[in-house]
Amino acid sequence: MKAENINPFIESVYDLFSTMLNAKAERKNVGIAKSANPRDIMALIGISGRVRGMVALAFPVSTALAMVNKLLNTDIKIMDDTVSDAIAEMVNIVAGGAKAKLNTGNEKPLDLSLPTVVRGGDFSVDYPTNSVWIEINFDSDLGPFTLRVTFEPEK
Amino acid sequence: MRALVVDDSAVMRKVLIGALSRANINEVDQAADGAEAVQAVQQNEYDIILMDWNMPNMLGIDALKAIREMGKTMPIIMVTTEAEKSRVLEALKAGATNYVIKPFEPNTIVGKIQEVLNKSKG
Repeated sequence: MKAENINPFIESVYDLFSTMLNAKAERKNVGIAKSANPRDIMALIGISGRVRGMVALAFPVSTALAMVNKLLNTDIKIMDDTVSDAIAEMVNIVAGGAKAKLNTGNEKPLDLSLPTVVRGGDFSVDYPTNSVWIEINFDSDLGPFTLRVTFEPEK
Repeated sequence: MRALVVDDSAVMRKVLIGALSRANINEVDQAADGAEAVQAVQQNEYDIILMDWNMPNMLGIDALKAIREMGKTMPIIMVTTEAEKSRVLEALKAGATNYVIKPFEPNTIVGKIQEVLNKSKG
């Protein structure tokens, strides 16, 4: 996977934080994902069209709660459906922004699946075949989190 | 003034209801997909609709087309992650009044709501 394909996702994370969350996020280390879920809760969304792939945002509970409370101006203290819903919407926004940035010409826009949220690490993601998950860790005003992106290798 | 907020994310609906409240619209119905939106428009009169694009059962773009085919002329603002120019043009051609790309700053959506309502009054 090429760096120019990763950067739109990182930019979309920054866009999300600066607009809807009024907070700052800073990219840290980049690597290859090794575990199923590096954090407590993870939202995944599929991309299809001329490339196929997946995008995931994974959060510790503390970051997830801080983000939701900032977004809704609430004081939610436990993980509930509202938090899951918010995390799902955030990965939708990040993937949506990135796919537009990846569309540099007149190509047909890539399509997004509906997001899925998983909690804990007791699962595996094997899609797409022969690809790897690029993992980018972030620090932010609202706590650390992880972005993961994988695309089907270009043929 | 009565509004309909259409988004499969309950959290995003809350965000948009907050924006409508800042624009002094407090009577708000909610729909979780395009099909629910079309049904709501068949049963009620709305002054403005905020419509997501990617939703289960019926996409927002298809709901927009269905509502316009019903002869309804209220302002409909698409509020979506679909940021490609071709998507924006498709929505405007289908009858969208305005288009807001997620993520947005709160003031942006409030401003768009006020803008389209002022134009529809004029």
